[in-house]
Amino acid sequence: MVDIIVVGAGIAGLTASIKACDKGANVSLISSDYSERSQSVMAMGGINAALNTKGENDSTDQHFTDTLNGGCKINNEKAVEMLTSDAPQIIDWLERIGTSFSRDENGNVDMRNFGGQKKKRTVYAGSRTGKQIVSSLVSLCRKRETEGKIKRFVGYRFLSLIFTDENECCGINCIHEDTQELRSFIGDAVIIATGGYNSLFGKILGSTQNDGFATAKLFTQGVRLANLEMVQYHPTTVKTPQKRMFITEAARGEGGKLFVMKDGKPWYFMKDFYPELADLMPRDVVSRSIFKVSDGGKKDVYLDLTHLDEYTVKVKLDEVYEICEKYLNLNPLKTPIPIFPAVHYFMGGIQTDENHKTNIKGLYAAGECSCQYHGANRLGGNSLLGTVHGGWISAENAVLEKPKGNVINSIDEELESFKSYAPKDKSLQDTLSEISQIMNDSLGIYRNEGDLMAALDRLDNLDTNVNAKYYDYLKVKLLVILSKASILSALERKESRGAHQRTDYPESDDRYKKSICAMYDDENIVIE
Amino acid sequence: MKVKIKIDDNYQIFDYEGDLNISVITLLEKLDWPIEYSCSCLQGICGACAMVINSEPKLACKTFLNEEKTVIEDNQITIEPLSKFPLIKDLKVDRSILFDAMTECELWLENDSEYNPKDLDFEYEMSLCLMCGCCTEVCPNYKLGDFVGAPATVSASKLVNQESDEEHLKNMKKNIKKGFFHIVLNQFPVKMSVPWKSQPKEQFQK
Ligand SMILES: Cc1cc2nc3c(=O)[nH]c(=O)nc-3n(C[C@H](O)[C@H](O)[C@H](O)COP(=O)(O)OP(=O)(O)OC[C@H]3O[C@@H](n4cnc5c(N)ncnc54)[C@H](O)[C@@H]3O)c2cc1C
Ligand code: SF4
Ligand code: FES
Repeated sequence: MVDIIVVGAGIAGLTASIKACDKGANVSLISSDYSERSQSVMAMGGINAALNTKGENDSTDQHFTDTLNGGCKINNEKAVEMLTSDAPQIIDWLERIGTSFSRDENGNVDMRNFGGQKKKRTVYAGSRTGKQIVSSLVSLCRKRETEGKIKRFVGYRFLSLIFTDENECCGINCIHEDTQELRSFIGDAVIIATGGYNSLFGKILGSTQNDGFATAKLFTQGVRLANLEMVQYHPTTVKTPQKRMFITEAARGEGGKLFVMKDGKPWYFMKDFYPELADLMPRDVVSRSIFKVSDGGKKDVYLDLTHLDEYTVKVKLDEVYEICEKYLNLNPLKTPIPIFPAVHYFMGGIQTDENHKTNIKGLYAAGECSCQYHGANRLGGNSLLGTVHGGWISAENAVLEKPKGNVINSIDEELESFKSYAPKDKSLQDTLSEISQIMNDSLGIYRNEGDLMAALDRLDNLDTNVNAKYYDYLKVKLLVILSKASILSALERKESRGAHQRTDYPESDDRYKKSICAMYDDENIVIE
Repeated sequence: MKVKIKIDDNYQIFDYEGDLNISVITLLEKLDWPIEYSCSCLQGICGACAMVINSEPKLACKTFLNEEKTVIEDNQITIEPLSKFPLIKDLKVDRSILFDAMTECELWLENDSEYNPKDLDFEYEMSLCLMCGCCTEVCPNYKLGDFVGAPATVSASKLVNQESDEEHLKNMKKNIKKGFFHIVLNQFPVKMSVPWKSQPKEQFQK
């Protein structure tokens, strides 16, 4: 019997656990909170698959091409090919396990337009696609829990990887958030599915659970990261007293249009800039256009839904309607929505091949924490697809692992470190804010060498001795390392491509038509 | 403004001066004191931040100070943890029993889901439960371990629609009946202040 350890219980972690279990493995599924609290439930707009039921002559080949073009050709082509050709099968599976996708008048799973794609290819479940998928995966997982095949451990935070003496990954150390209990899990392979490294940029659109600890710690333990400079800005986010929230791309898919005031009249600039796809250009392009017409944020830019009918806005886009009403006190049927781009998604992360293997034997990564499908810019709806696909493929490969070496149990080291840690005086919140400020200042929509160098300097001089619990104490130090690796990656890519735009290198350069990788060697960050 | 927070059975009073157009979660972040609570999405989607605010169970990330009567009229607010679950610390509670109940009721599908066009909207709605636990707060019948509560029943009402395995369907129904209907249906509070739009009683009677 194979024992698989899965860390993270969003859509990627749930899928990996279910699929590993169906291949005969025993699974330990470890997460900081229940799946219902994961970022996956926040996904609204949809999941892509070329089902070709809309009479638009769509195909998986076109999905492949659009994904590569969206990612400016630095995606892992093999992985994208598998992703796009497996997509229809994934939708079929999700449907069969009980996901309540919206249907069209013919009873087919409905699809809508999303950015970067000319065809209707984005399957959705009302305005709660992620939640509906999580709900059906959770009940499938529950059955296997009752059978004793999946064991869930909720409330644990990942601390470190465990290796064998042959440098294979064979387990993890964790800490329980409430009891501070330290615990090891040993198995045949580990699948990391801990989501994006949100905390690097502060209170961004996604979940506060995804703090980047796991990605950063893996890095310091020898795991190769890639394309850390590729941070996606979602073009249409609104500022609420709570945090920035986003207005789903489905709003533009349903006909919403961006404008800025010019000579006293609304100027619908996307149509002028890009006559063919207009407001449905890929996210990086839309974000840059907004940045440009707003003069770097000085002028207000609006998303106009006032011409859409009540059913579309109140029913099909009910989430948008609710955010506007609840958090902005604005009726989108009457008033255009003031928007601006904000950090939304991490195309970069743990580098994996098309089988979701990392550079360390026995270690896999799936979901937003892993990097292979999206290149320099992710298409809307491809992330949910990638999380299910990644969970599935990583599980199929992980169950074939059998470490050869002997386990080097490192829980004693962790205990030692836990006992000897001495929190200092500095405020945790202030320090996290300083890090996110530095990252936002330097890795905005446009970057340049001066800002990036200044950011490195600020990170070097940051006092990280915070007054916090053990996990948070370690986290601050790790986040500084991950921040530096991101900035060094951005410095290394001396060109503009997708989400990475350098004012000092405004053109794309074929010498950089590749991933920029980061390794940690003897406490030094090495960029390749 | 006076902020009264129940910590270990006592009320601690904090002072807050500042913008009132903020949510309770933001208020907790701004108090110069490390208070434990759960949160994740900060926009009312994940159910993590449920707590009792001015005697009503609510999502703290969706409850704004300037919409609270006590803030407007008396310049104060009272925040307590949900009372029906074991307390972990400060405002953080252990809601695992909600999740365990769903396993005990065997809430899953044995066969492929059946698609019934007329039930699609209902099934969609029934998958929206946040597992926040607010409903247990106002339910006079909910005591730990006694009955399964609204979340399990809501989820079951979707799965019984989709399941075609007769044997498992029977079991799910039996479990839910045992754990819910005979105790609660006629005593459910008529109007509940729950985050999610549907009123459980109406759904259960379908
Ligand atoms: C508002 C919003 C809307 C979106 N809409 C769409 C959309 O319409 N279409 C689309 O394709 N994508 C969308 N996305 C992106 C998509 O939701 C995510 O990329 C995807 O859900 C990530 O899933 P995941 O399984 O990789 O990770 P997540 O769902 O983020 O789950 C991460 C898991 O890891 C756990 N975890 C994190 N750190 C640790 C740790 N140190 N130790 C233990 N556990 C840990 C968490 O508890 C959680 O269980 C949206 C994102 C947001 C924020
Ligand atoms: S039924 Fe409503 S109140 Fe109860 S847990 Fe679900 S969403 Fe929360
Ligand atoms: S933090 Fe998710 S509902 Fe409040």
